[in-house]
Amino acid sequence: MIRIPTRVLLVDDEKDFVEMLSLRLQEAGEKVSAAYSGKECLDVLEENSIDVVVLDIRMPGMDGMETLGEIRKRFPLVEVIMLTGHGSTETAIEGMRLGAFDYLMKPADFEDLTAKLQGARKRKDEQEERIRQAEAKLLMRKSGGAF
Amino acid sequence: MVENPGVGIIMEKVTLLLVDDESDFRRTLAKRLIKRGINAIQAASGEECLKIIKNDPVDVVVLDVKMPGMDGIETLHQIKKEYPEIEVIMLTGHATTQDGVDGIKTGAFDYLSKPIELEHLLGKVRQAHEKRARETEKQKEADFRAKMEQQMIDTERLAALGTLAAGVAHEINNPLAIIRESAGWMISILKRDELAGMPRKADFEMALDKIETGVERARRITHQLLGSVKQTDSTLSEVDLKELLEETVIFIRKEANNREIEIIQEIDPRIGLLWTDPYKLRQVLINILTNAIHATGPGGSIMITFALVGNGVEFTIQDTGQGIPREHLKKIFEPFFSTKPPGEGTGLGLFVTRSIIDKLGGKIDVESNLGQGTHFYIRLPRHPDVAVDLNER
Repeated sequence: MIRIPTRVLLVDDEKDFVEMLSLRLQEAGEKVSAAYSGKECLDVLEENSIDVVVLDIRMPGMDGMETLGEIRKRFPLVEVIMLTGHGSTETAIEGMRLGAFDYLMKPADFEDLTAKLQGARKRKDEQEERIRQAEAKLLMRKSGGAF
Repeated sequence: MVENPGVGIIMEKVTLLLVDDESDFRRTLAKRLIKRGINAIQAASGEECLKIIKNDPVDVVVLDVKMPGMDGIETLHQIKKEYPEIEVIMLTGHATTQDGVDGIKTGAFDYLSKPIELEHLLGKVRQAHEKRARETEKQKEADFRAKMEQQMIDTERLAALGTLAAGVAHEINNPLAIIRESAGWMISILKRDELAGMPRKADFEMALDKIETGVERARRITHQLLGSVKQTDSTLSEVDLKELLEETVIFIRKEANNREIEIIQEIDPRIGLLWTDPYKLRQVLINILTNAIHATGPGGSIMITFALVGNGVEFTIQDTGQGIPREHLKKIFEPFFSTKPPGEGTGLGLFVTRSIIDKLGGKIDVESNLGQGTHFYIRLPRHPDVAVDLNER
């Protein structure tokens, strides 16, 4: 069976980090895009279909929490994994309350990251599947009423 | 000051040592002093005087100048050298005031010429005693102030060190992440089929593995450091201490069993609830218990006690381990102080522990005897915001 790659968007102002993690995730078979600020992240989401955003909390300008808010508002089906450089997990948990799938502490363990990416992808797939089924049901009812 | 030569009450606790080789004079005077409520003991010579002082506390010495053997001035020298806090009143022969003056120069409180009048002597003894009491009080105050100042210096130094260390830790996390992803990427490239026959592939893999291990070690340190400082948003709740103890012991039970260490728990059934941060408190207990386990050999034991004290609770953890050398005791709460081999201990456990306890409004103390074990005391108020004087036993 051919594994369908997860479309990941990495968002962090640390360019070297984004670059290396992209290479690594690509090597693992994922399809990776990169953004270096919250604003750029939203631009990429506007232009491309993305499954999961890996989002650094601490960024200059529009920070992670603000970006998360915008993503939830404008792209509610896209899953978000928060990356925190702090020892504090409180902000990340707050992010999860706002709808983020999970969080990781920097530097993150790669196995953890891939496991969480898969989990996020699964949640998105299932949600999309439910929407499709609901739509199908609606269509059936409509066409049923046409007889 | 109560100026009452009638004496009595104020003198009751004075222990006076009367030193004179003339036994009749000495005995009579001692009897009269005892009648007036003074605990008067006697010595027949300078040598005997020093022997008594060595074994029993004496407040005031009344000392005859002229004695065979060690004379009064020499005895005075010895007393002042070893016990500067003891006040000495010299007794001189009639018309030999020079001796008395010499005595005062050597440190005597005053002198009296024989024959002496009892009321006069009592007056001098009382003055000497009061001077002594004042000086003891002054000394106590000075000691207390020095201790407080030292504590403040320690606290400030630790806080400054902690802030600096956390700042460094935070800055290091990002490059650490870059190193980790770069090494991880290379490792995954090496796994490709096309690189199966790459020359010296094993060497590369080995070195990359070392990089990963090193990053992991650094990561542990930075996370612990950041954990020690970022505690402003800790969440307080009512904690059932009995449950907390049970949970904590579950964490360490296995390691203790592996090392054949017995865990003894004693908890006051009235201990009840405590307003605190359960996660932080559990982290503290686990830190100390883990250290205790590492310090204790097979067959040893660790005793955990939760007791009620004053307006709070006291946790004590006592092990039968190797103990902490005196020169280390002062340093164990400093960041990066560790006696474990590199890579095994970060030297942050007790530093973090102490900063948590500080923030929870508590106090942590340690006592240790080499070869016998170590005893940690933690006191916490019922509620962190309630200022409790935890120094009161």
